[in-house]
Amino acid sequence: MSSRIFAVLQSVICAMLLLVVLCASTPSHAIPAFARKYGMPCSACHEAWPKLNNFGQTFKDNGYQLMNDRDAPIWQNPAYWPITFRITPNWHRESTNKVGVDTAAGPNAVEQSIASHGFDFSGLDFHTGGTLYKNISFYVLPSSNQYGAFHFETVMARLDNLLGSSWLNLKLGKFELDNIISEKRILTISNNGGFYRLYHFAPVGDSNAFGAIGDNQLGLEVMGHSKNDRDRYSVAVLSSNDGQPGLPAGNSYSTFLTASHAFEAGKLGVQRVGAYAFLGEAPTYFLTSNGATIPGSGLGSKSFNREGIFGLFYVKALDFSVFFQHGSDDAHFGTNTPANQPLPTGARAPSWNGAFVETHYTANPQLIFIERSEFVRVATQALPGTPSNLGNIDAHTVGVRWYPIMSSRAGFAWHNEFSWVRQRGVAPVSGTDLSSNSVMTGFDFDF
Amino acid sequence: MSIKQTSMVAALLMACPALMFGAGTVKGKVTFTGTPVKQKPIDMSKEPSCAKQYPTPPTTQTIVTGEGDTLENVVVYISAGAPDETTAPTQAVTFEQKGCRYMPHVLAMRVNQELKVVNSDQTSHNIHPLAKVNREWNKSQPPGTPPLSEKFDKEEFISVKCNVHPWMRGYFAVLKTSHYDVSKDNGSFALPNLPPGKYTLTAWHEDYGTQTADVMIAGSETKNVNFAFKAKAF
Amino acid sequence: MRTKIFQGMFVAIGVAFLAAASLCGAQEMESHIGSLTGHSNDGTKLYKRYCFYCHGQYGDGAGENAAWIEPKPRDFTAATFKCRSTTTGFLPTDEDLYKSIARGFSNSNMPPWAPLSNQNRADLVAYIKTFSPRWKTEKPAEVLVVPSEPPVNIESISHGHELFEKLECWKCHGQEGRGDGPSASTLTDSKDQPIRPYNFAGGANDSRFKCGSENADIYKIFMTGVDGTPMPSFGDVIKPNDAWDLVHFLRTLQVNRKSKENEVLKAAGGKLLPEKPAPPAPEAPAAPDAKAPGSR
Repeated sequence: MSSRIFAVLQSVICAMLLLVVLCASTPSHAIPAFARKYGMPCSACHEAWPKLNNFGQTFKDNGYQLMNDRDAPIWQNPAYWPITFRITPNWHRESTNKVGVDTAAGPNAVEQSIASHGFDFSGLDFHTGGTLYKNISFYVLPSSNQYGAFHFETVMARLDNLLGSSWLNLKLGKFELDNIISEKRILTISNNGGFYRLYHFAPVGDSNAFGAIGDNQLGLEVMGHSKNDRDRYSVAVLSSNDGQPGLPAGNSYSTFLTASHAFEAGKLGVQRVGAYAFLGEAPTYFLTSNGATIPGSGLGSKSFNREGIFGLFYVKALDFSVFFQHGSDDAHFGTNTPANQPLPTGARAPSWNGAFVETHYTANPQLIFIERSEFVRVATQALPGTPSNLGNIDAHTVGVRWYPIMSSRAGFAWHNEFSWVRQRGVAPVSGTDLSSNSVMTGFDFDF
Repeated sequence: MSIKQTSMVAALLMACPALMFGAGTVKGKVTFTGTPVKQKPIDMSKEPSCAKQYPTPPTTQTIVTGEGDTLENVVVYISAGAPDETTAPTQAVTFEQKGCRYMPHVLAMRVNQELKVVNSDQTSHNIHPLAKVNREWNKSQPPGTPPLSEKFDKEEFISVKCNVHPWMRGYFAVLKTSHYDVSKDNGSFALPNLPPGKYTLTAWHEDYGTQTADVMIAGSETKNVNFAFKAKAF
Repeated sequence: MRTKIFQGMFVAIGVAFLAAASLCGAQEMESHIGSLTGHSNDGTKLYKRYCFYCHGQYGDGAGENAAWIEPKPRDFTAATFKCRSTTTGFLPTDEDLYKSIARGFSNSNMPPWAPLSNQNRADLVAYIKTFSPRWKTEKPAEVLVVPSEPPVNIESISHGHELFEKLECWKCHGQEGRGDGPSASTLTDSKDQPIRPYNFAGGANDSRFKCGSENADIYKIFMTGVDGTPMPSFGDVIKPNDAWDLVHFLRTLQVNRKSKENEVLKAAGGKLLPEKPAPPAPEAPAAPDAKAPGSR
């Protein structure tokens, strides 16, 4: 019993840490550096920044090029330096219904609802990207958490239009996986609503830190698309280091594959459907020296997979981003068992299914309403006897972003959001359902 | 000029029954005060076939003056008081490109009147009226090609240029009235055959702008109206 | 219990979104491209999203960004358009505009808008037509018929070169088509902005013309003229077959581009055939009697 509680506690702490990291960075690639270079307003490339529209997606897929002979940096004023920062001062309120609280009876003796609120600000992103030359592009994104500790969220260079074909582009570095529904361009940014649960999901007690399709990964990507981007594919080979530099894990690799096709549905707009798969293996234990882990010595690699379909559906000003996922981890991950140790009796590969639908109503290029509902259901728990609904997630978010300015120089949004999430059976003391919510209003700006 | 007068008479006969009660004439002179900008010699060295036609380089024609401070190339026309005349004369007006210059420098015509553009040079010109109200077209006319035939369907003063020979600049005055004249080298103009009435006369110059004057014609009389433009210093 | 209330709330908000989405208005201008019909009312938002920053709220080419870019954005209030299949001075067809939006203008800031849906582009064409009353008052212009292309051979290319000389294309474009002819430096567009003649020799294998990359597009460019620029129409002075010969010669000026024309020229040892007849005397009318298609 106590080990069960310990495992739950561990995963809650992990989840919280993950939240902190995510919220600190939520980097997006909404970048007035491009707008300044080409003199276009944000709305040309973004449905509502940072979310891309078809034109912006094509621009990105062309290697940050409009393909009109003005893409090489030689066309820019020599003083032009493609850099943009983004930060969001805000007021927010975070509420959790069950937090373990110490009393005279002992540590974590009771659960209590806690709400905290006040003025705050986000981490800071420095986006720099563009072309080094015609058909050679780059993107570097130093990103800080709100305490000013920086890491490199993106570092990549790309050879575009190899052999004169838009079907062959080669990218090397640390980059966002080719998710058309980009978490880096998410329109909700609160602590609870600022990420897609399915892009980071792992069952309770699962130790696989390598299967997050929402994390930027280190690797090599071959990507191609039709001229107008209606058809696109990408294949990436990634180091199973979850994007961490310095080869901390080991010598294993994973791969991310995706393809999508878009078609026109008359007056409704351009519809897109696609599929993806993230397949890989990653170490389950390390050699140690004097008890300390030796970095890069990962052993006992076990496999994991995430796959599913997605769609972007437009009904004029209304659009729906739909995402499905089936995921599974090896039983060793699922039970946090190193591969050189026996699995607990009856251990199985955990698996889950999930989906989200994000609805946008773009009233005009300066006003967008967002609603998202996300559900994750564990299909197979790693250990028999675990409650079947443990770790299941229901999450809902609504938001509205208003952009008072339309400019090629800077972006500004008054962001408002409410987000609520419930996870089954993970309350720290009682093991009952845990729910939390975020309220946020802030000025999200970049320049 | 006789062609123009004939056509004007024809138009008047159709449009103005008032003619029966006698017709007046407005005559006058266009002059300037002050010192006009000196016209610059044109360097035609890039077009030898034209340059060789001039013993000394010709000058620009923005301000063309005569003895006694008279001003040439001023379009004088009835801008108010006379009905719009919609029927265009059948006779065409001709605009000639000769020696890499436009003859005449300012050509007045009626709305929808046929305009013939002639290239008498041994080089290609492109005739490019920079119309704003009318259609802006631009046609090449190599040497030896037959005259171009065009017309403009709205009233407008249109600057005309040849992009190949940037010094070539002329004007089309497209007018709704048949009562117009372009001042001669002595600055004189005459608008004959005006039925009795109260008119507004407008004088237009490509650089000096416009001036207006009101005139009353009672019968078969000749009224004198003079215009004096102030020369721009630069 | 609270959960239920929350979920109910989200559903209600979702329904509200859907209700707000059903907005429609009256139609002002239409465009017709094949079976597509564009509506200016639908184009309003699109124009605001994609176009107004350069072309301006009033379509006059005076958007906030216009000051920073060269060449200047098109002024739709003048309704003068470069890439047309219609006679010089006439309005382009809806399809001309539709294609221009998708193609973009390679030597300007205007990118290819092909990622937009066909309907979006048709709506934008309809909206652009609201900026000038000419679209309501003028009749549709005659569309240039491009006859089928004769075979490329050295005779055709050589004759094209003679035309290039005779029509004095080189005055602006230069003898080698490098955009460096004697008049090149003096050229201005209809808004008195300096403008460069097209440099055929520049650009790599993928070099494009302003109005398209096909041979028929080149044919159209000089037969209809590039309105608003110094490039005149030769529709009255070049016969269709002569026009194709000129197209073939112009392709050979694109020295870095792989083309049938360059292959033929290379096979002929890089030499053009000597001019057959003596150059026509200036007095003798060398022009065609029959008017070329597209002329009036």
